[in-house]
Amino acid sequence: MTSVLIVDDELFIVELYRDILQLRGYKIVGTAFDGEEAVRKYGANSEKPDVIIMDHRMPVMNGVQATREIIKMNPKQKVIFVSADVMVEKEAREAGAIDFLPKPFRMDDLIEKMQKVSAR
Amino acid sequence: MKKNTARNSEQKFAYYMDLLSHDVLNNNQAVLGYLELILAAGGVDKTTRKYAQKAVSHIRTSTILVDNVKRLMVTREMDSSELKPTNLIVALNSAEREVVRMFPDRKVVVKIPSKISEMLVVGDGAASDLVLNLLVSMVRLDPSEAITLEFKLSEVSVRGKDWLQLTLEDPTAHMPKMAKDMPIEDAYQEDSSIAVKMVGILYCKMMAGLLGGGFEVRELNNKAEPKGAVFVTTLLKAGEP
Repeated sequence: MTSVLIVDDELFIVELYRDILQLRGYKIVGTAFDGEEAVRKYGANSEKPDVIIMDHRMPVMNGVQATREIIKMNPKQKVIFVSADVMVEKEAREAGAIDFLPKPFRMDDLIEKMQKVSAR
Repeated sequence: MKKNTARNSEQKFAYYMDLLSHDVLNNNQAVLGYLELILAAGGVDKTTRKYAQKAVSHIRTSTILVDNVKRLMVTREMDSSELKPTNLIVALNSAEREVVRMFPDRKVVVKIPSKISEMLVVGDGAASDLVLNLLVSMVRLDPSEAITLEFKLSEVSVRGKDWLQLTLEDPTAHMPKMAKDMPIEDAYQEDSSIAVKMVGILYCKMMAGLLGGGFEVRELNNKAEPKGAVFVTTLLKAGEP
């Protein structure tokens, strides 16, 4: 079962991702509400998630910075960037995100990206 | 000093617009996601499914409207020389997929010239948004269950520059009365309760202008009613001085 860490500052978005992903058989191993919390949790857990779903515009540390920090710890970590800020796609990919999904997305688009990324 | 203050005020305004748009998109995400979860749940009856699908379509429209506001804010600050080239054929194919998904309760067919694989125009992401808005605006003018839209491309040379003319035809669309009665630009002068009826068309006109091109609407002139509609968009080919 593919494990997922969800990072987004909006509780209702985190809950939505959890509902969608659990319905489709993914295992949610953690949630974080800002980039710094995501980096801290990622570093502290010995078992790493298969995929991280990362928002961009968050307090304390944004998604691009958090992705950069996580990739520094583990260059093979798969991060799917999900953001309403489409202009940030290039920066997110340069930071190490493997894919980008603009908000709002269709459920099938998220699952398709998850499958594609998990298979790599 | 006064100029700086005006600029600061405008920057602040753009900043709040951006924050609000971001929040709307997050909320649209939640509504769209839960509607899809309702549709995916077992035991949904036919009527509930139909209503949920219609709501999904409107959420997509709402998102396009927010994107349009954001795009206008960004593009109005730019000179067309700052815009990167974009492949119009890729934009047409992407918009075709999107518009078909936006109207799941209708049968929308979009014909795209198949022999051309690349046609670079000035416009960056704004040109792609414009193409999607052309399709959505045309579908909204057509009450039919089954809609066939056709894109045609031609190259024209005006005032020593090469332009690309993108024509979108729909033989079953109903032209808005006001678009028949007056030049589109005059709609800006009208009561907004009238202009709002053709906001999609007005947006296309404004965006095509910001990209350095043009936009016109006319009847297709079918012999019977409805007369159908044609959108003619002119975009500057990339690489032109």
